[in-house]
Amino acid sequence: MPPLDKRIKKFLKNSIRIAPKISDKGELAELRTGLVSQYPQTRKDAIKKTIQQMTVGKDVSTLFPDVLKNMATNDIEQKKLVYLYVMNYAETHPELCILAVNTFVTDAQDPNPLIRCMAIRTMSMIRVEKILEYIEIPLRRTLQDDNPYVRKTAVICVAKLFQLNKELCIELGVLEDLKSSLDDENPMVVANATASLAEINDMDPSIVDLKSLIQLHVKQFLAVLNECTEWARITILGALSEYSARDGLEAQDIIDRVTAHLQHVNPAVVLATIKVVIKNLPQTDFNPNSLIMKKLSSALVSLMSSPPEMQYVALKNIRIILEKYPEILSKELRIFYIKFNDPLYVKLEKIDILIRLVDKGNLKQCSLLLTELKEYSMEFEPEFVSRAIQGLSQLGIKFSGEKFLQKVLDILIELIDRDQNSIKDDCCIAMCNILRHLPENTDMASQICSILNAWESPDEYLRTDVAKCNYVWLLGQYPENFPSLKAKVNIFLELFNQEESLTQTSILITVVRLHSKLPGSTLQSVLEKATKETTELDVRDMAIMYWRCLSMDDSEELVEELCKIIPPHLETTIDQFSPDLLEKLLLELGTISSIYFKPQANRRTRDVSYENVVKGKEINELQDLAKNELASKANEEVLLDFGDDDEEDEDELDGDNLTSVRTNKKYSALDDLDDLFNFGTTTGKPKSFKDDIGISQGINELNLRPSVDSNSRSQSNTQELLDLF
Amino acid sequence: MASAIYFCDIKGRPLLSRKYRDDIPLTAIDKFASLLADLEEESSVIPPCLTYNNTQYLFIQHSDIYLVAITNLLRTNIAEVFAFLYKIIDVLGDYLKTVEEESIRDNYVIIYELLDELMDYGIPQITETKMLKQYITQKSFKLVKAAKKKQNAARPPSALTDSVSWRSEGIKYKKNEAFLDIVESINMLMTQKGQILRSEILGVVKIKSRLSGMPDLKLGINDKGIFSKQLTEDDTNNNATSKKQNKIELEDLKFHQCVRLSKFETEKIITFIPPDGDFELMNYRLSTSIKPLIWCDMNVQVHSNSRIEIHCRAKAQIKKKSTATNVEILIPVPEDADTPNFKYSHGSIKWVPEKSAILWKIRSFPGGKEYSMAAELCLPSTSSKSEEVQNKKPVQVKFQIPYFTTSGIQVRYLKINEPKLQYKSYPWVRYITQSGDDYTIRLI
Repeated sequence: MPPLDKRIKKFLKNSIRIAPKISDKGELAELRTGLVSQYPQTRKDAIKKTIQQMTVGKDVSTLFPDVLKNMATNDIEQKKLVYLYVMNYAETHPELCILAVNTFVTDAQDPNPLIRCMAIRTMSMIRVEKILEYIEIPLRRTLQDDNPYVRKTAVICVAKLFQLNKELCIELGVLEDLKSSLDDENPMVVANATASLAEINDMDPSIVDLKSLIQLHVKQFLAVLNECTEWARITILGALSEYSARDGLEAQDIIDRVTAHLQHVNPAVVLATIKVVIKNLPQTDFNPNSLIMKKLSSALVSLMSSPPEMQYVALKNIRIILEKYPEILSKELRIFYIKFNDPLYVKLEKIDILIRLVDKGNLKQCSLLLTELKEYSMEFEPEFVSRAIQGLSQLGIKFSGEKFLQKVLDILIELIDRDQNSIKDDCCIAMCNILRHLPENTDMASQICSILNAWESPDEYLRTDVAKCNYVWLLGQYPENFPSLKAKVNIFLELFNQEESLTQTSILITVVRLHSKLPGSTLQSVLEKATKETTELDVRDMAIMYWRCLSMDDSEELVEELCKIIPPHLETTIDQFSPDLLEKLLLELGTISSIYFKPQANRRTRDVSYENVVKGKEINELQDLAKNELASKANEEVLLDFGDDDEEDEDELDGDNLTSVRTNKKYSALDDLDDLFNFGTTTGKPKSFKDDIGISQGINELNLRPSVDSNSRSQSNTQELLDLF
Repeated sequence: MASAIYFCDIKGRPLLSRKYRDDIPLTAIDKFASLLADLEEESSVIPPCLTYNNTQYLFIQHSDIYLVAITNLLRTNIAEVFAFLYKIIDVLGDYLKTVEEESIRDNYVIIYELLDELMDYGIPQITETKMLKQYITQKSFKLVKAAKKKQNAARPPSALTDSVSWRSEGIKYKKNEAFLDIVESINMLMTQKGQILRSEILGVVKIKSRLSGMPDLKLGINDKGIFSKQLTEDDTNNNATSKKQNKIELEDLKFHQCVRLSKFETEKIITFIPPDGDFELMNYRLSTSIKPLIWCDMNVQVHSNSRIEIHCRAKAQIKKKSTATNVEILIPVPEDADTPNFKYSHGSIKWVPEKSAILWKIRSFPGGKEYSMAAELCLPSTSSKSEEVQNKKPVQVKFQIPYFTTSGIQVRYLKINEPKLQYKSYPWVRYITQSGDDYTIRLI
């Protein structure tokens, strides 16, 4: 403690400001005066104000030279501010940064490691080739710096440089330095070097052989794992999950070495560890009861007490893992029960997991879940209720006992009785799915049909295409259970043109199936509407085909065949990944692709934007250029845009997008053709149920049912169809 | 692997940003607000990751701001990004006290500085506040001082990149103390009839260390005893099943990064060099079945179109010598109910119309006691049909019980050993049980 009088003096000195203040208006002229003021405090204030203006999006690039004058200072905070300013304009006005190059080079040799870092970090971000040329010596030096803090920054700069100028980066040979950094004694340097190499590999896989580098360093990775920061651990675990163990023993060893991290407090570390374990698991001899499975299970459970965003990631990943190891969480059902304050997106994922998780051989567990789902289906958030109702039928079909399904049905009926229109869609779909699972159960069919028959105007209750389509299918499937069949069909027929494709298809098929029970005019009218008025291609083609079948002389038998066809037995309504997709997803746990269930088939190399680098001019010229720019801008006081770079950027992007869209379109068109063609030859299968059972399955079935009915005709049909195109 | 971090206001408009890479257009963030608005219009399901034009927006919400990370790489480790975003909030919380729009605007300089240090080229770097505070200081450096003691000017502490990256050397206290708090939060979901649908104990061991030098600590808890002890006290019936679970429960421990995980893995000993000041040493979770500590016997009668009657009997089912404090029972009532009328024996009751609930507060609730209340609210004579569906919120209960842990966890010893200084030290231990964020009773 200094004596009191000194303290008072100090206080006064600090609080009474002789230096002129900068107002909050942030006028450029005022800022400029402030920046060159004789009072250090004012200068600093002015820099702060300048940065504030920059933060709110104002263009303060004209102040560049004045700000730069303040760079040579011993005050670290001020230096940081100037660097911040420079870095920001490195993005939009790279030319201006050339003015600062000398300071960078000096600062890169500063005794303070913080300043060395700042200099090198900023330099490697500026997209001016001439500056990049100056980077060689500082970068080399900092890569070998005594201070690990500087080294860990320098290794990342290599990746930055690589992105800006690949050739230069290779020419300078810093990649070799980077590789040898993997052997650094400091864990953080190792981790950053790994991350940096991964980035480089991502931009251009042909430059460094990441796989073999990881291979060579597995031992180091495992050794440093216990000693580094949480983020470094994630990076290193990430690298380990890219490595394929040579044999079962090594895989087991890796698993043993990483499992301790399943208990790390950072959920991302836990997930990264899980990924490593899962990658190595198949090579070891494990069984579902082994300790490692229990550890995995409890690690996954622990992720459920993390923040909701993390839970979301965890739930999506659990979904993937469950498909590979279905037993893994079998005892932990209750963990996934919904908490009333969970965000909606978590709730929906939880229901999905609950239904996958429940053991279909365990009546008690299934009944418990059933009551839980019933509870959910009486909540008030519509999306949640809808998912819960879907869940009810999924659970019922999974358990698959008639008694149990009856219970499910009772709940659905209770829900419908609550007289809420918003849930009728989901209830209707759920009931149809149950019936498709138990087609033989006539009691249930009549029970369901009597409820649905009681709806006077189903078209008002039902809103979605799928629900309407299901309803209409039911009319065709159990016509004898609908006393007011004709009225119902007519309601839908009247609105035919307003319906979407699934419902249109379903109406068409149903009317054809019921043509003997309905007045002839109905059939006539549907065929006309479907051939002339609809805009749906599929529907029109189907209608034309039906029409031809019906108008043939000996059509009775053929039509009979057509009508008999029922959709395939519904085994499950829970969708599964294809084995190929599953394996790919398992390798990408924890990534964004794992959230969308879309693995990156081929890792697209990123376009490195060299074009942005200002090239081919002498440094003097550039400096003149920069000064001219500034001068002209200062004169006009107009916020000029250095638009070139940006525009180029966007053009490029647009180009990319366009081509991808085009190819997509092409593909989808082809798909459409395929679909149509398949339809033409098979006729019997209602398309409407495709969405329920997964498209691939659907198409298989289509192909499996060669058109018995119209074998003789199919050729001509096909010909007709082909003519159509 | 984020390309940029943005702080956005409640509408999704950017307040402050830091770009780490130039592989996304500057304008990418402008789309965020409209994406958010579009989604909100469509439905109430708003996942924390949005895609537009190959750009991924990963975001979390904190008070009135969004924290958004933007990337265009699908291989980005999304778990890491979310963990990092939460870490930013933590770090800023330590620097700014509250993290909200206002404080973000006021402190742009320090935030820029921090963002620079927390992440480099999209790779998270140093997030340990205690270390950051040594070289990123909020008060600006006095010019004169900096010039004089040039050598002392902010430098990254050498410990930053060492294996003990969370503690620097040379910390000194006159009195060496370590305070240990064991806090157990109980989450429980019950039906009105008293059936327990789900229960779990979330425990945290917090330490406040005021110790000099580089002390090495060893914590002993009644490790194997924890769960078996619980059995003998509560229910011996499902002995077998609980025993089986023991192992799993134990493994649900999570440790602060200072704990030597491999040592715990092999020898089951918790050893660590603590960071200075407050931190969470470990947390654990138990899903053994427990009795409700505060039970509310609810009876709700709705006389539609006229009034609603609520009777509640609350009981503290804890040991006689324990006392629950700050008990709050939040009972939902229909949104359109009004003119409340209360009768109660203890505490205070008020109607909270903005939450559509009545709140019964009891400052002190001794074990074994039973208090009751009755409330009556009027309902409008004309009511919509959907009202019944709306009112599905559960009864929420909040409480604290000091000097008591539900799991029976006990600290056997906390050995503090500083090899160089060899000082005398004082460990203090405190236990508390409280309600978690989901201690609820479902109404039928």
